[in-house]
Amino acid sequence: MGIDDGEGEGEARQVQVRFVTKLQHPYKVQQASISIPANLTRFGLSALVNNLLFTANVNWTTEPFDFLIDGELVRMSLEEFLIAKGISAEKVLEIEYIKAVAPRKQEEPSLHDDWVSAVDGSSDGYILTGCYDGFGRIWKAGGVCTHVLDGHSGSLTSVCNLMPKVDSIADQVVATGSKDRTLRLWEFGEEDTIDQPKKIRSVKILRGHTGAVQSIAGIPSSDMLCSGSWDCTINLWNTSATDTDDSVSVKKRKTGGQDEEALSEGDALTTLVGHTQCVSTVVWPQRETIYSGSWDHSIRRWDVETGKDSFNMSSALIAAGGSDPVLRVWDPRKPGTLSPIFQFSSHNSWISSCKWHNKSWYHLVSASFDGKVMLWDLRTAWPLAVIDTHSDKVLCADWWKGDSVISGGADSKLCISSGVPVL
Amino acid sequence: MKRAVRPEVIMKLQQQRQHPPPAPESVILSPEIFFFGMIDDWEASAKKQLALYRKPPPPVSKSSLRPNRSLKLRFLSLFSAARQLLRLLSSSQTTKKMRSKRNLNGSDEKDLQKRKESNLVEIEKRIEEAETSSDDSPFVSDFEDSENDDDETLMGGEGSSDESGSQESDLSVSEDEDTFQSRYDDEDDDNAVSPHGDKADEHDNDGVEDNTGGSDDSREIVEESDSSEDEVAPRNTIGDVPLKWYKDEEHIGYDLSGKKIKKKEKKSKLDSFLARTDDAKSWRKIIDEYNDEEVELTKEEINLIRRMMDSKAPHADFDPYPSYIDWFTWDGAKHPLSNAPEPKRRFIPSKWDAKKVVKYVRAIRNGQIKLDDKPKEEPKFYDLWGEASSADRQGLAYIPAPKPKLPGHEESYNPSLEYIPTQEEINAYQLMFEEDRPKFIPKQYTSLRSVPAYEKAVQETFDRCLDLYLCPRVHKKRINIDPESLKPKLPSPRNLKPYPTTCYLEYRGHKGPVVTISAEATGQWLASGSKDGTVRIWEVETGRCLQIWDIGEPINEVEWNPELPILAVAAGQDVFILKTSCGSDEHQKKIEDLLHVQPQVEADDSNTNESIVNWLQDDTHGGIRLKHFKTVTKVEWHRKGDYLSTLMPSGESRSVLVHQLSKKLTQRIPFKTKGIHVASAFHPTRSMFFAATKKDVRVYDLLKQKLVKKLEPGVREISSLAIHPGGDNAIVGSKDGKLCWFDMDLSSKPYKVLRCHGKDITSVAYHRSYPLFVSSSDDCTAYVFHGMVYSDLNQNPLIVPLEILRGHSSFDGRGVMDCKFHPRQPWLFTAGADSLIKLYCH
Repeated sequence: MGIDDGEGEGEARQVQVRFVTKLQHPYKVQQASISIPANLTRFGLSALVNNLLFTANVNWTTEPFDFLIDGELVRMSLEEFLIAKGISAEKVLEIEYIKAVAPRKQEEPSLHDDWVSAVDGSSDGYILTGCYDGFGRIWKAGGVCTHVLDGHSGSLTSVCNLMPKVDSIADQVVATGSKDRTLRLWEFGEEDTIDQPKKIRSVKILRGHTGAVQSIAGIPSSDMLCSGSWDCTINLWNTSATDTDDSVSVKKRKTGGQDEEALSEGDALTTLVGHTQCVSTVVWPQRETIYSGSWDHSIRRWDVETGKDSFNMSSALIAAGGSDPVLRVWDPRKPGTLSPIFQFSSHNSWISSCKWHNKSWYHLVSASFDGKVMLWDLRTAWPLAVIDTHSDKVLCADWWKGDSVISGGADSKLCISSGVPVL
Repeated sequence: MKRAVRPEVIMKLQQQRQHPPPAPESVILSPEIFFFGMIDDWEASAKKQLALYRKPPPPVSKSSLRPNRSLKLRFLSLFSAARQLLRLLSSSQTTKKMRSKRNLNGSDEKDLQKRKESNLVEIEKRIEEAETSSDDSPFVSDFEDSENDDDETLMGGEGSSDESGSQESDLSVSEDEDTFQSRYDDEDDDNAVSPHGDKADEHDNDGVEDNTGGSDDSREIVEESDSSEDEVAPRNTIGDVPLKWYKDEEHIGYDLSGKKIKKKEKKSKLDSFLARTDDAKSWRKIIDEYNDEEVELTKEEINLIRRMMDSKAPHADFDPYPSYIDWFTWDGAKHPLSNAPEPKRRFIPSKWDAKKVVKYVRAIRNGQIKLDDKPKEEPKFYDLWGEASSADRQGLAYIPAPKPKLPGHEESYNPSLEYIPTQEEINAYQLMFEEDRPKFIPKQYTSLRSVPAYEKAVQETFDRCLDLYLCPRVHKKRINIDPESLKPKLPSPRNLKPYPTTCYLEYRGHKGPVVTISAEATGQWLASGSKDGTVRIWEVETGRCLQIWDIGEPINEVEWNPELPILAVAAGQDVFILKTSCGSDEHQKKIEDLLHVQPQVEADDSNTNESIVNWLQDDTHGGIRLKHFKTVTKVEWHRKGDYLSTLMPSGESRSVLVHQLSKKLTQRIPFKTKGIHVASAFHPTRSMFFAATKKDVRVYDLLKQKLVKKLEPGVREISSLAIHPGGDNAIVGSKDGKLCWFDMDLSSKPYKVLRCHGKDITSVAYHRSYPLFVSSSDDCTAYVFHGMVYSDLNQNPLIVPLEILRGHSSFDGRGVMDCKFHPRQPWLFTAGADSLIKLYCH
């Protein structure tokens, strides 16, 4: 008996586990605890759960799963994980399984004329991209461009959808920032499906920056816009076209001998001065606060009402990538410390862009100059997935429709990786 | 004549010898008497004693004399007996010669012998009696009272007999002496030779033979010789056999005539009891079983026994603690070996000595011998472990042997336990490198005897011989210095962050080696010029090429204007001033103005300046073209952006020109210059100008128009020059790979020379705000240094090498052609001959 036991242990230790999930019906397995060998990895566990589901449902198609133990994703064999975390193998282990966050499908890349510098996927209906050729583009889906935003004289650096919540595509307002030191507002409505994308003109020009506009951000359901620029300032703008029409004189402007066009110009409402170098990124997540990152190696939080920068960070996590291959996450609620709580360092070069998922607490996408887009989960130090479709630097990345990752790069492509089951 | 002496007797005699009989007070014994080992001396002294005794005793009262006399007698008898015994022991068996002698001497001698023997036996007997009496001590004590009573009578009774006895004994002894003497003289040789055992045998035989003679005679003599019972010869002739053998016999041996010596009839108990009760002295009587007779002990004997029983000295007059008499005179006891008189020559001075002295005196007077007042103290012992003073042994390349370590406790054959390594430690030694292993491992042995021979003795001797044989006969001086201590104490590069370390971005697009780069003042743009004849502007952040000019000639230098987004490009004999699309609208307007006043000035210039430079409008590239007469290699903007210096190495006196953009003027620097200029620079704050020739760097004051300073780096050929933003320090790169840091307040010689590159240094640069400087070289590397200049003038600049940046590949023998820092970030741009521009970030 003793010998048998010894042999059994030598081969694989057994662990009592119970699989639980928050997923809905077809993904549920029975709650009974089962005994599994401890040397199973994520892949083995996934196969096991698929088998269980298959026994319950004959029509089951295999689905990769990810596994959580005590809020930590399993990224090694179960045995090693238990030892590393100091979890007793005697008890019945509860393993929660979620759908593996990885893109299932790569859609046809949308080709641009030049480098894709900015992308915005905050609206489910379309993708807004900015390009180095000075045009903004609206994409319905992969490869289907509906509108071209024509007007900037310099390459676009940043785009922003000002009304992501509006479902109807009827009157959408978007903003773009460019190296020609201006921001432009655009309006477009629903378009008939035609072969040629429709060129539209900007409805408003926002002038005031003396340097190239590097980043713009609007607050949802509002008519405010902020922009960071190479002149080290952040400007706040009013975007409602109707109001400014009255206040600001309408100028007539000739553009390349074409027909005259009425353009309303707007000035900055206020300027936030504090950064000493180029403001490379601005984020406006809540009404009161703007976060900005700069080449002076600082991230600042601005109070919109007073226009002052304050350090008493009090909201959610901040993620930032800089001129080094480390993606850092700070928790501003943590008192007294300014050291990042997470550092993800799987990239090989500058991180050009990073974005939180707008619904999930844990998920994060980052783009880097090494041509990779990575999906991150705060519950593990390894990237969930690496999207390696770009052949050159990736300049921008965003989530789209909650289950897709869109990214634009120096290879003039907009890549859409869909089927990412974040929730 | 002689009789076998019983061993017991000898024993007893020996005992007596060990405890010698006490000397009477009146007798002065010579010290030799104590040396029993020396028989001759002993005999001689005994003779002396006897001589003393023969003298008439001083008149004393009888009572006082009595004990002395009896003691004397006792002593003498003992002495004679002992001597007799000794002679018996030492003398050989009687030779035939002796026998003939005896025959010649006749009966007299025999009688003497017998008497002696009887004496001996008598002593023996007495001792025995004493012993037996001591056994009966309780009996003695019972009758003590009666003894005291009888003392008087005893004294009176025995006094006369003792006296006569003593006289007799005196006579006999004297006779003995004579005979002894004569016999000894005769037989000395034989005695020395013959062994003892044989003697004893012969004695026995003799005894048997001789005893056939008249026993009566002997008895008579005995009676004559001593009235006391001491002198009585033993009746018993059975010899040295146990008495119980004769227990049932009625005889106790045979007399001389062969008759049985009958035992006495034993008295009946009643008779003996009656006799005892009648006789008051019966308590003193003891029965001599051996001789089968009754012996009456004298009072002295009783007393003697009593004292012995009390563990005192047997003799009453013996002083156990006599005052010590020092018999010897110890001082001045020098014993000359010879008694011969001293020879005369010992008293007169030596003739030869005198001659020698005269000789020496003459030599001293003539100065042939110099007297050294202080004779040198030679060290008596060689200090084996002392410091080797090579001073006294500086012969031909003396190589001192390595000093061995003093032996410690661990080298003992039985060291303490703490010195002995455990098994684990020994195992650990095996894992160490051969040279790190300890040479000697202490071991414990129970004794020095069990220590084995040194196992490496042969090997080491061989090695030593080999060393000596192969030893190079060259004195090599070696200095033992820890290399770490020679290194300057520098802060860790980790504490000097940030500085460029890693290449993250590459700017691709040029088709030929990138010769020169320049970063725009804001840090947003980068301009580069290449040998393919193009000038490009790049976006720093993304690496996108923004603008391209095709000049057509290999570009030598591009330089951003520090104020406006305009670019000065040196290509061939032309310098172009190009406007770029960067910058705001106001900037663009300014540039338009600056670059537009062109056509009027051209005519002026050509007239006044003898057409050194032609200012031309260049429409194809959008800017101004300054046409020089020689190839322009360097372009340098003044910090305010209005002045521009150009450098033509082959321009001789007009090699360095300064142009003013706003007035479109050109002038040459008003100084006499020598040599070929390779680099030039404006002072960052003051109106000074640096011009570097191949050999030195000259600093001119532009306002006073004179030479201020001359820096001499002492290198083969200067290639590049950079001025610290503070203005007081400069670095100079040379074509032999040396980098010289000049502190211009300190000296005209370099403060530090850094020999780091293997090939020509192509470019050196300071960072505008960070304390960094860099040098790039054709060996495809760029060295980043920390160069901190302190505001405190007493503190020298701190130079720390930080990083070697590699990544460029060599092309056509050239490596990194240019390097520039980002104006705001601690980043570095390098332009390589492999037509790449790299950005190194922190």
